[in-house]
Amino acid sequence: MERRVLKTSSTFSPEVIDAIQERAELGRYIIRGYGALRNVPRLDDLVFLTASLTRFPLEGYREKCNTKTLLGTRCAKRPVELDVPITIAGMSFGALSRNAKVALGRAATLLGTSTTTGDGGMLAAEREASSKLVYQCLPSRYGFNPKDLKQADAIEIVIGQGAKPGGGGLLLGQKVNKVVAGMRTLPEGVDQRSPSRHPDWIGPDDLKIKIEELREATDWEIPIYVKMGATRVKDDVKLAVKSGADVIVLDGMEGGTAATQSIFQEHSGIPTLPALVQAVEALQEAGVYGQVQLVISGGIRSGPDVAKALALGADAVSIGTASLIAMGCNKPVYIEDYEKLGTEPHHCHHCHTGLCPVGIATQDEDLMARLPVEEATIYVANYLQSLVMELQSLTRSCGKSDVHNLEREDLVALTLEASAMAKLPLAGTDFVMGQ
Amino acid sequence: MSEQVLLDQVVLDCADFSTREINHQLKTLAAEGITQVELLNPAGRHNLAVGVNAPLKIRFRGAVGYYCGGLSDGVEIEVLGSCGWSVGENLMSGSITVQGNASANAGATAHGGKICILGNAGPRAGISLKGATLIVTGNVGYSSAFMMQQGRFIICGNAGPSLGDSIYDGEIFVGGEIDSLGADARLEPLTEEDWHRLKADLNPLGLSAEQCNFKKIVCAQELYHFKAKDFSKWKDAY
Repeated sequence: MERRVLKTSSTFSPEVIDAIQERAELGRYIIRGYGALRNVPRLDDLVFLTASLTRFPLEGYREKCNTKTLLGTRCAKRPVELDVPITIAGMSFGALSRNAKVALGRAATLLGTSTTTGDGGMLAAEREASSKLVYQCLPSRYGFNPKDLKQADAIEIVIGQGAKPGGGGLLLGQKVNKVVAGMRTLPEGVDQRSPSRHPDWIGPDDLKIKIEELREATDWEIPIYVKMGATRVKDDVKLAVKSGADVIVLDGMEGGTAATQSIFQEHSGIPTLPALVQAVEALQEAGVYGQVQLVISGGIRSGPDVAKALALGADAVSIGTASLIAMGCNKPVYIEDYEKLGTEPHHCHHCHTGLCPVGIATQDEDLMARLPVEEATIYVANYLQSLVMELQSLTRSCGKSDVHNLEREDLVALTLEASAMAKLPLAGTDFVMGQ
Repeated sequence: MSEQVLLDQVVLDCADFSTREINHQLKTLAAEGITQVELLNPAGRHNLAVGVNAPLKIRFRGAVGYYCGGLSDGVEIEVLGSCGWSVGENLMSGSITVQGNASANAGATAHGGKICILGNAGPRAGISLKGATLIVTGNVGYSSAFMMQQGRFIICGNAGPSLGDSIYDGEIFVGGEIDSLGADARLEPLTEEDWHRLKADLNPLGLSAEQCNFKKIVCAQELYHFKAKDFSKWKDAY
């Protein structure tokens, strides 16, 4: 009998074979939720040079470490004051369940930080739950209206997001139930094709006028953020600054989404690490660093991620997918339901189907009931709290009493790629890749 | 002093104020019970009468720029001239009448109320219209009613290429020629009710619906859900 040898092709791996056959069945591109599945250079590839003899650490349990953060100081009468430099990113009601949105709002309120609306407009319960709410102005303008605008604490004009820069979303009809369709003025059950650009302006010259319109509508009270997916970061950031943005929100390619073409997630945009470095350089070159604040997002998961982002020059970070994971996304419960979706815990990215086993990315009332608001609030609040503690610990260990005093010289790179992208020395050397 | 008060009516000269001051004045005057404001010399300035949420009658004597009346609710605006991009953007209720022509994106994403352009409108008129009534007595440019979701769009003249591309819902009426329909838009016969409503919309503007050979365009609903056999339609959809 011939010996049976199994060899995996590196060109046609099992994943590639599955993807080809899925396309053959569907006749279209593959749509899914979550973010990029591929490995990219990330903040993990940096480490802190914490205090020893040349630097003096602060006492962890005795000496204070400030985390207060101010966003939108450029033009607004009322900048956003946060107790911590960690915000909740925009995620729509429609993509997420009502319970998930309310829990995110309550958890953010407990931590003294902000949460953000999303495609679909402002949910009344979300406004009530969130002490500070950023109202997104998206290309679709679903549910966007002046009444809600006046209730916002900041406005975020969304140019794009890290998971799909340059592309629109595609929320499949199974999630567009009566309530979601009503908020978005769409026929119930229709596949919602979100536009990739704003309907009423094109380019940065128009954006400047658009920003002024929003300021006029809100009497110049609240800051205007501009959120972009990370691609040509330097030019985009400079143009957003020139257009009048108070805050730049930059989303790296590790950022998540409710539903889009898989090709965008895997093959467009640049990772958060180099995006952040270029954004800081752009603000410095434009002469507005410190005047226009920078919020970085895309795959931020831990206190060290937050600390490294701040050390590289961000004013705050924004967290999306990780906050959902904190409340139970991909948790090993309701295993049979994961199996029905053709997946399993830790590997699920079926947000687009509306059949989320843990009740987060769904509009099904029975599934949503699996996510009690109070429990989800505690999980997210605990998670955020742990990030702050980790951030403070690292800051103190670098000898600093304010998280915003972390700086580039506190970091070195572990890999050549990270050294080149972050423009930091390789650990143990004076060598900066590419310089 | 350029501010004149005639009983419940105020006249402002825009040349004397910044845009921010003009909009502040409009909101303050409305709160004080003034019902009509006449604005002189708008000079094509952007963002005039933005975010006004009172039943204030505002008349601009001259051309206005981008976003005139944008993000407003309940206001009544008349422009005795032409307007720039996105007049009445995201209007919630009320009315905007432009005596001249409109540039691109007239009535973009407007949720409610009525926007009347008594001239021609540029490309992408009624883009993502969400429930308002948009009337253009002249012609409209390419990709008008792109991604329209709800509402009524009445064009008495001709429509450019790709009218109603990727429309979800709502009704478009065209009195002149249509260069081409966009993906998922289709013609449908007019009903008696349609003619009745067209008369009701056009008569107040001094126009007769019967003088136009109206055609009705609605959503063909072929892009509601992807089917592999419809690939050619999706391929050509914007």
